[in-house]
Amino acid sequence: MKKLLVLAIVLRILVAGLLFHPDIKTYNYQASFLKKGVFNIYTYLVQNNKMLPIKDDFVYFPLTYFVLGGYQAAISPIFGNGLDSWLANAGSNSVVNDPNIFKYLIALKLPYLVLDIAIAFLLKRFFDDQEKAKKAFILWLFNPFTIFLVYAFSNVDIFAVLLTVIAFLLLKKEKLILASVALGIAAGFKLYPLLFIPFLFIKGKDLKEKVFIVLIPAIILGIIVVPFWSQDFVQSALISGLTTRIFNPGFSIGFGESMIVGLFSISILFFYALLVDKKPKLFNYWVVLLIFIFAFSHFHIAWLLWIAPFIVILAVKKPALSLSLFFLTALAFVIPILYDDRSMTISLFRVYSTWYDLISTPFAIVQKFYDPYNLQSVLHSILAGGSLVIGYKLLSKEEEK
Amino acid sequence: MKKMIWLTTLSVLFVVFLVPAILAMTLKMVPAGDQPGYNSDQRLSIYGKRGVSQEFVSKEKNLTAIGTSIRNLNLKNKKEIILSLYDENNKLIRTSVLNGQNIQDGDFVKFVFEPIPDSLNKIYSFTIFSPEAGPEETIEVFYINSPTDSILEFTYDEKTHPGGLPIVIFHKPQSKWEVVWKVYSNWFSRLLRLTSG
Repeated sequence: MKKLLVLAIVLRILVAGLLFHPDIKTYNYQASFLKKGVFNIYTYLVQNNKMLPIKDDFVYFPLTYFVLGGYQAAISPIFGNGLDSWLANAGSNSVVNDPNIFKYLIALKLPYLVLDIAIAFLLKRFFDDQEKAKKAFILWLFNPFTIFLVYAFSNVDIFAVLLTVIAFLLLKKEKLILASVALGIAAGFKLYPLLFIPFLFIKGKDLKEKVFIVLIPAIILGIIVVPFWSQDFVQSALISGLTTRIFNPGFSIGFGESMIVGLFSISILFFYALLVDKKPKLFNYWVVLLIFIFAFSHFHIAWLLWIAPFIVILAVKKPALSLSLFFLTALAFVIPILYDDRSMTISLFRVYSTWYDLISTPFAIVQKFYDPYNLQSVLHSILAGGSLVIGYKLLSKEEEK
Repeated sequence: MKKMIWLTTLSVLFVVFLVPAILAMTLKMVPAGDQPGYNSDQRLSIYGKRGVSQEFVSKEKNLTAIGTSIRNLNLKNKKEIILSLYDENNKLIRTSVLNGQNIQDGDFVKFVFEPIPDSLNKIYSFTIFSPEAGPEETIEVFYINSPTDSILEFTYDEKTHPGGLPIVIFHKPQSKWEVVWKVYSNWFSRLLRLTSG
């Protein structure tokens, strides 16, 4: 096991140091203002936009700013001004040609490595059977998806993912209130864990517990968000495209109204759990809820990490599903790679050479032969179909017998 | 589980060590350097008979393209944009034509032509015109005031100035392996500088 762990860490460091998604530089540049004493990053960035070399908004929730900013403050004595200068450098080529980029990338992604390994150990605790626990541990560390999701795409969502895993461990021990606390803190990084609160509400034993389950995450999120509440925060983080994409309208039902497919499917799921399912298994509902998000929304590749630990648990619990799960995960991975976005593919390799800027993206290559949007739609439809069947199997009582 | 361990290990090694080589092998041309920085307020209008000419030095063999940034506000220019390349004796040797409708505002565009094998350290000049465009279909190119080791001087409105368009000169590599070698050697040299620094 120790050898495997070392191998897993080596593979992660290779990807962390050699593949570069520009987001990591952007949000770490923004987080670097914490050590300069900036508390409200949302307002600061808007007010100082003209004089800043990098002008993007901070699209994440406050805990991301404080955790990343705090970590940077801790490591800044090691790197001195070099890291700060690199983060503030807006030059597209000089950033990747800096020989220190490898150590900067590894240093900035180091917290992800700690959380990633922590998730591997937490996944073991979902199983009483030692063999299955070991299988989950290995499957988390050795699957080609999560390594690239976390370290190539610099996936800051791992903070929220770890907390949702903790929430489900607490749920397994029937500690619903503590689970809702974990979800509330997770929402301080990213809002999506709140989608699970209605399902946790159903599980509450009595009205008092149900009220606590709903109120606690709301209060925690309120404490985290209220100090920053402003037009700048709302525009930058709360209603940013990434936060609200799940609730983008699906199809028109006339007279200006639209059916929001993502919300519609989550609603079906909730009322099914409430009214039909006598003994709802919350783990299955969480997996199906996330599956619906990927089936019915134009998702960002980073979101796939939200479901990854739960897919690992599912694959260990139900080995018969593992091949289908692997295929559907691979499909879900390919769809964003076909987006018209260089940073999904070619740009990740700019550390090796900026000459790669001359290479066509998969989107542009497909465009020569076929409509790439149509290809995305075809793949997404297959993903949605397969996902629905997996969802059906998870919720069907027959499956449990 | 063993299969997954192998699959994951090989996937990572393939992506970090082999994919860069595969990508390098797809490159049909490589730039001789980075585009010089420029002031976006310094622009020259091009339409009708109003064009720009510029002298430059090719620092590599197999000159095959000249790239620069072009403003085409609201895609107003949908006409031909012609780059004509001349040798030291002012003899037309290559022509490359782009269409304005394919040029988004601020795009970095490449005028590609047949490679010139013996272009190493030779002085060339080019002109850029959009002869069918009227004043309302103006495109704009940026310029820099000071010459570089390859950008020498430019002529606009019959006046010659030092500097020119912030161009990138591209050349066709001798072989695919040459590109792979250059990419990896550059990458390794930066890695070594990291460890020594």
